[in-house]
Amino acid sequence: MKPSPLVRELTRLVGRDAVLWRPEDLMLYEYDALSSLAQPQAVVFPTATAHVVSILKLAAREKLPVVARGAGTGLSGGAVVTEGGIVVGFSRMKKILEIDIENRRARVQPGVVNLDLSLAVSDQGYYFAPDPSSQKACTIGGNVAENSGGPHTLAYGVTTNHVLGLEAVLPDGEVIHVGASFWDRPGYDLTGFLVGSEGTLAIVTEIIVRLCRKPEEVKTLLSVFDRVVDATRTVAAITARGITPAALEMMDGFTLRAVEEATHAGYPMDSAAVLLIEVEGLRELAEEHAEQIEAVCRENHAREVRRAQTVEERELLWRGRKNAFGALGRISPNFYVQDGVIPRTRLPEMLEFIEQVGKKYELRIGNIFHAGDGNLHPLLLFDARDKDQSQRVGKAAAEILSKCVEMGGSLTGEHGVGIEKRDLMPLIFSNEDLEMMRKLKAVFNPHGNLNPGKVLPTGRVCGELRVQAAVGELT
Amino acid sequence: VTADLESISSAFASIVGGSRVVSETAACAALSVDGKVPRLVVRPASADQVPAILGCAGEHDVAVIACGSGTKLSIGSPPRRYDVALLLDGMNRVWHYEPADLTITVEPGMKLGDFQDHVGRDGLWLPLDPAGGPRASLGGILATNSAGSLRLSYGAPRDMVLGMKIATTEGKLIKTGGRVVKNVVGYDLGKLLVGSYGTLGVIVEASLKLFPLPGQRATFVLPAGTLGIARDLRRRILDSPLQPMRMVLLNGAAVTLVEGGVVLGQGSEEPELWVEMGGSPRVIERSARELEALGKATGVAVRPLEPAAAQAAWSRVSGFRALIGAAFSGAAILKVLLPDAASEEFLSRAEQEAENDKVPLAAFGQMGVGVLHLCVLEPASAVSLAALIKRLRGAAQALGGVLVVEHCHWDIKSRVDVWGTAGDGLAVMSKLKAAWDPKGILAPGRFVGGL
Repeated sequence: MKPSPLVRELTRLVGRDAVLWRPEDLMLYEYDALSSLAQPQAVVFPTATAHVVSILKLAAREKLPVVARGAGTGLSGGAVVTEGGIVVGFSRMKKILEIDIENRRARVQPGVVNLDLSLAVSDQGYYFAPDPSSQKACTIGGNVAENSGGPHTLAYGVTTNHVLGLEAVLPDGEVIHVGASFWDRPGYDLTGFLVGSEGTLAIVTEIIVRLCRKPEEVKTLLSVFDRVVDATRTVAAITARGITPAALEMMDGFTLRAVEEATHAGYPMDSAAVLLIEVEGLRELAEEHAEQIEAVCRENHAREVRRAQTVEERELLWRGRKNAFGALGRISPNFYVQDGVIPRTRLPEMLEFIEQVGKKYELRIGNIFHAGDGNLHPLLLFDARDKDQSQRVGKAAAEILSKCVEMGGSLTGEHGVGIEKRDLMPLIFSNEDLEMMRKLKAVFNPHGNLNPGKVLPTGRVCGELRVQAAVGELT
Repeated sequence: VTADLESISSAFASIVGGSRVVSETAACAALSVDGKVPRLVVRPASADQVPAILGCAGEHDVAVIACGSGTKLSIGSPPRRYDVALLLDGMNRVWHYEPADLTITVEPGMKLGDFQDHVGRDGLWLPLDPAGGPRASLGGILATNSAGSLRLSYGAPRDMVLGMKIATTEGKLIKTGGRVVKNVVGYDLGKLLVGSYGTLGVIVEASLKLFPLPGQRATFVLPAGTLGIARDLRRRILDSPLQPMRMVLLNGAAVTLVEGGVVLGQGSEEPELWVEMGGSPRVIERSARELEALGKATGVAVRPLEPAAAQAAWSRVSGFRALIGAAFSGAAILKVLLPDAASEEFLSRAEQEAENDKVPLAAFGQMGVGVLHLCVLEPASAVSLAALIKRLRGAAQALGGVLVVEHCHWDIKSRVDVWGTAGDGLAVMSKLKAAWDPKGILAPGRFVGGL
């Protein structure tokens, strides 16, 4: 097989060892954590902004789609092509360019792995706050594209609250610098607009982030409940007490049994739900909050409240939480994870609703989520080979998301719209809202060749949840 | 203006009612901007009237400047044109207040002070100490992304917005975001609007994140003696496990101003670092102890403020504009944004520049945030002030920052660009402006780069 003219041109621009084009190589880049729809024509690995510029100029000339990709851990289809084109992989742009502790800033390339930045500044007592469960693999460029969250974003905010400035390349190859290493550079907040734009406006090539001071003390609590409703009420009660824990996670009994079997984190096998709660800050503050939270848990009928006594115990509890998706993968051939958000006071009602949906469609649904900010991750288990079951998953998922919207919530808290939820956007936005989004997108991406088919409804189908690839062929 | 005043006036009256369209000279003059007086003041009663007003303004091609309480109207370049003041002070209702969820939806005309009273009953607040203080409207705070020194621990308005409704000059009402605390659905239009100084659209409703009020608060004054010691203290405090709510550096003149004294040059007082701590009695006690120790290590005797007097003192610090306005009518206020670590060095250069010009300079620095306000109290002349601003801007740039003129007599604005340069994002910004406001009737020319 011979490389196409496109591949030859890309090779000329970035080098022979920086382009993949053989079908067996391309196959690996068809996927992210949601789905696979099409195969790219080439995957190219730039090592400098200038490479990205030349790739985008070539794509503009040839009218080819371009999709930027970090580690491919995204859950909404943001990093896959929908109709061929070029995938720009950032695995070779992974330098931490500058660490400035006194200003609590770092400047990084987009391919830097999230956790690697925290590790690089850990000795000096600092860390990068956004901590997606995939933080050992996912890149900061991907975090910027998706405006990623994580368990600890409850207290510290999501990615957008930690990004100060960007270097980005527009689809015509023009390089712009937005924001700065300080706050409030005069002008529109293009940094804030680009973060979370899911790679549809520009390709980011450099990121200036804030670093946070590590807390003096961290206390991790595991609170065990015999009834789900007691756990969800505890969440609202903690918020109502004026305590914002650093993290407040919930897992239902079904999920935690699967997790326990996989991780042996010490979760109680016979409980209905657990809350994993972390409080931190000054020693005195962490201690007081831990005591107050213990009291709230007991008032709400917690069977047991455990405190991690050692760093190892703490890490084990978190490993269980962060590997939960994988643990469910052990007990089901396929699962589909959702990301709806509701006002946190409505959690008891919502959990009951999800249970009913599970019964109605005869599906096993695990619940594991960022309870503190009302961000749900119901996991619908199924076997993609079972057509009927796959269809029921699609319907159940759509019902759960509609309920989130009805409660005044959102379709997605941190995973992004991508391909997956684009056609559900009209549940939230009017035609005029979407028209404005289209106009603003066109300012950056006038020909639409940057990450096409993402975020905005395609108009082809109305109100459909694109989970086909994940749950098999829905028709 | 192409259309005649009367027909425009009656068109607005058909939307909001005759009593809400005012053309009296005094009312118009009160909302003048940089010497330009609007010909009409329109006061909508509800959010749904605003798209109609803006649409009507678009049809008649009249230029509109939106205004809440007017505390920040002086910020910006002189408008290219200005016909109608859109006064939002009557839109001050609260929707969807959910104390247990820590969320609220409000109209833009509500004043921050009234807002804090409203949510304070439930032990909540919006942790902002912006220019204008309690008088500032929420819409104005958002439009200017006006944080204060509390940004150190709580972030800026941009970080507190969950969603909003925006009226456009094409007569539309656009929704963005939502009412829940975590949300990534669709493009974040809110980020564009926050800090756009009313040049893209008019915020008619905003959903905000609320925060629990700290149990107790305590303020400590650290008389630093020199800027070098102030720098040392800032570094030690920020690198310690302490979590100050806010930390402000006042130079000598600023100290005199806050104490109500007569400012004569820089030398009358020494610089002070004000630190506020919040939390339980145990947290406050520990913080006091740690600050005491940091003070000892740097030769500074820490002075706790009487709790009863502390909040009043802070409102003088964050409300310094009012102190200046009363005594110094010709004063200019400059906002310097720079990497935090350069704060003291910049201030020292700025004091030298002011000294050379023999003008008193009061400085308020939001430590840990990288924002410094300089108040040039008694400039000798427009020419010398413009020259001083240019030199100060040069000093800010040399340290990796920028300088924005926030307040000055408008004749200075013809001599110096209040914003400075917008950088290589300006072309995109111009296109965004055109996408929102194709006729260019919202605060034309007021923002950076003539936007």
